[in-house]
Amino acid sequence: MGHQPAAIVTDSTAPTASVVITVSDLTRRFGATTALASVSLSLPRGAVYGLVGANGAGKTTLIKHILGLLRAESGSVRVFGLDPVADPVGVLSRIGYLSEENDLPGWMRVDELIRYSRAFYPAWDDGYAEELRQRFALDSTARIKNLSKGQKARAGLLIALAYRPELLVLDEPSSGLDPIVRRDILGAVLRTIADEGRTVLFSSHLLDEVERVADHVTMISQGRVVLSAPLDAIRESHRVGERTPSLEEIFVAHVGMPATPPDP
Amino acid sequence: MRSPQSPAQAIAWEFRRRHLRVLIALAGYLLVLAAIKLLMRGLGQPITLEPPDGRVGVALGPLSVTFFYFLAVFSFGLAGDLAARQSIYPARMFTLPVTTRALAGWPMLYGSAVMASLWLGMALLARWWDLALPVIWPALLAAVFLAWTQALTWMPYGWRGVRVVVTVLWLAALDVIVLLAIHFKVSEPLMIGFLAPQLPLAYLTARFAVARARRGDIPDWRGMRARPAAIAQVSQPGHFPSPARAQLWFEWRRHGRTLPALVALLLPFELAFLFLVRHDPPVLIFETLLVVLLTPPFMATFAATMVSRANPHARDSYGVTPFDATRPMTSAGLIGAKLGMAIWSTLGAWLLVLVAIPLGLKLSGTWPTVIGWVDWLARVFGTPRAIVILLLVFSSLIVSTWKQLVHSMYIGLTGRVWVIRTSWLFALAFIIMIGPVAQWIIDDRAVAAGVWTALPWILAALVGVKMIAAAWVAQRLYSSRLLSDRMLVTGAAGWMVAVLLLYGLLAWAFFAPLIPRYLLGLVAILAMPLARLSAAPLALAWNRHR
Repeated sequence: MGHQPAAIVTDSTAPTASVVITVSDLTRRFGATTALASVSLSLPRGAVYGLVGANGAGKTTLIKHILGLLRAESGSVRVFGLDPVADPVGVLSRIGYLSEENDLPGWMRVDELIRYSRAFYPAWDDGYAEELRQRFALDSTARIKNLSKGQKARAGLLIALAYRPELLVLDEPSSGLDPIVRRDILGAVLRTIADEGRTVLFSSHLLDEVERVADHVTMISQGRVVLSAPLDAIRESHRVGERTPSLEEIFVAHVGMPATPPDP
Repeated sequence: MRSPQSPAQAIAWEFRRRHLRVLIALAGYLLVLAAIKLLMRGLGQPITLEPPDGRVGVALGPLSVTFFYFLAVFSFGLAGDLAARQSIYPARMFTLPVTTRALAGWPMLYGSAVMASLWLGMALLARWWDLALPVIWPALLAAVFLAWTQALTWMPYGWRGVRVVVTVLWLAALDVIVLLAIHFKVSEPLMIGFLAPQLPLAYLTARFAVARARRGDIPDWRGMRARPAAIAQVSQPGHFPSPARAQLWFEWRRHGRTLPALVALLLPFELAFLFLVRHDPPVLIFETLLVVLLTPPFMATFAATMVSRANPHARDSYGVTPFDATRPMTSAGLIGAKLGMAIWSTLGAWLLVLVAIPLGLKLSGTWPTVIGWVDWLARVFGTPRAIVILLLVFSSLIVSTWKQLVHSMYIGLTGRVWVIRTSWLFALAFIIMIGPVAQWIIDDRAVAAGVWTALPWILAALVGVKMIAAAWVAQRLYSSRLLSDRMLVTGAAGWMVAVLLLYGLLAWAFFAPLIPRYLLGLVAILAMPLARLSAAPLALAWNRHR
């Protein structure tokens, strides 16, 4: 994959300057449910991190803590060395985020969304935004609510990418995208960003997708990090003779069930 | 619990299951009314509609709220987007294996029965109070109102917003006909004869609407607006100079036009009364103008419920959506945009009022009467004072409109349903209690005198509560760093200057030896928003960073 030297991410000894996200002993409960239990992570700059787990494993909860949408009940979260709750402007202005909820304002037109979003980011690149709009085949006069699910995801991706954020956080980005678009667009975008020394954190329960683009994989199950290491190291450590198992098989071995529930 | 055995039972079960608490609250409210009757008048003592009783007014507020609540429940308006082109009938029900007749018929039948029962319950209670209210035609009117609301809101339309206009106009027309019938003392059989046939008509319309919505037949008239839209596209302004301006635009587009639109809808009907009363005693002209002037602050209370919502269309409409929450702005900045939007919204609504009033006065020929009042004011108070009093009245109405829009924002922005519902409960309790208490004070001279004597202390206590709340909020804002020290100091200083200014104006304009100056000072402190407004960033931060 050719990026940052791989390190086990639960080892938080990476130099502070090169660390983008530091999560220390983070625990979060919703009523009687423990969504995150003593999670610790340290994500160095310049790689693509895949956060994998079954539905309800705690991926989105972890991402929401990183964005400051959830306050750490115990433990701490630092992004670029800042507390995302105490300094939302300092953190969020450097993050591009695509939500799994597809919650872009439906009443806006695509051009209005671009115009509105660019006001928040001094580094917004108009040329790049237009290039992305054309590549994603988005009609600038179309209302967001009239777009298909895949087009909405593309619009969200556009405004998350157009200012070339230092950290791109994608929560289930494949949601709503057909396989061809997923392979061509998502893969290219993720590689481009990581090649430029930027960092990508994306969550997914589609492990083949993670296998294709991630340098580093963190598996999460029932709120606990069960495995976190460079993908190559994970594959190597699970090799059986000449055969390298798939990420899906490794996931099942660690969690005891597949990340994607079987079709009924 | 027994499972529903038929589609009719299932639909009934859903209504009952979702709104059981409200039904219980309504029953509790009727019990409270009965208790008030027993405690304040005793058994066998009649209550009249005329002063000094008039306690029937106590029923009107919550009864109206319940009436509109049931309208929303049975037309599925609580869950749907009223402005959308699509029918607000829940799409999930279209796939049920039941006939369109059943889909349209059962909610209408249940709704009509509930609306009619609501009136019958009130009428029976009123009889117990020895008030003879008509029973049949108002119950029928309530059912007809609901049936037409259902039919017209379930219909798909070609443009956004047409549903609201069509429904409001149709119901208003129905209202006018009934008011005229009352005015001309039309007999009850004639009234029933007018209302009863409307139920089947509304049902047929509703059935047509649901059938159309069910097969996805949504007319599209947007092509007719394509050319203006293209022109608007070309003339679109450039980039926003700052995130704050972008957010202000966002808030304006999302909520800002609601209040001017509501006011614009009502103004023509209200001003039409000037034409009806122009030959009547001038007091009716005064009352009409008063209603017009009170429309923006009154409607602002409804618009405010939208402003405090993070996203009216979101699944959890009070929670902050990730899109909103990840704007790289401070919570104070986001609140600033809401406050700015409220200012523009208020100015928009008042611009409409201030243009419409002279127009209405001129066209109706009532202009000289109003000029006569202004002359009288100038003679009594002197021209400068009269001008200041008029300006004070207008500016206090404008500020009050803005206050109505923003002062309860801190409750909705918490995003906690329990906070919001508790506040509703308190508000409802206040509405229920304020009428009887006010009447009690007015009726009993000793009590009225006592309240008048204690007024400075009551106001002082309120000021004390306000200042303690403001100090707590300021301390929380300081410790959470939601506002910078400079902003906190500037805000406090600005508030004090505004209070002093208001005090000075009040002291000068209302020069009366009998009104102590300190009383005006207390009024000025209470009138100037502080604690609740300052709590808004705290509430949003609590919601945004859960």
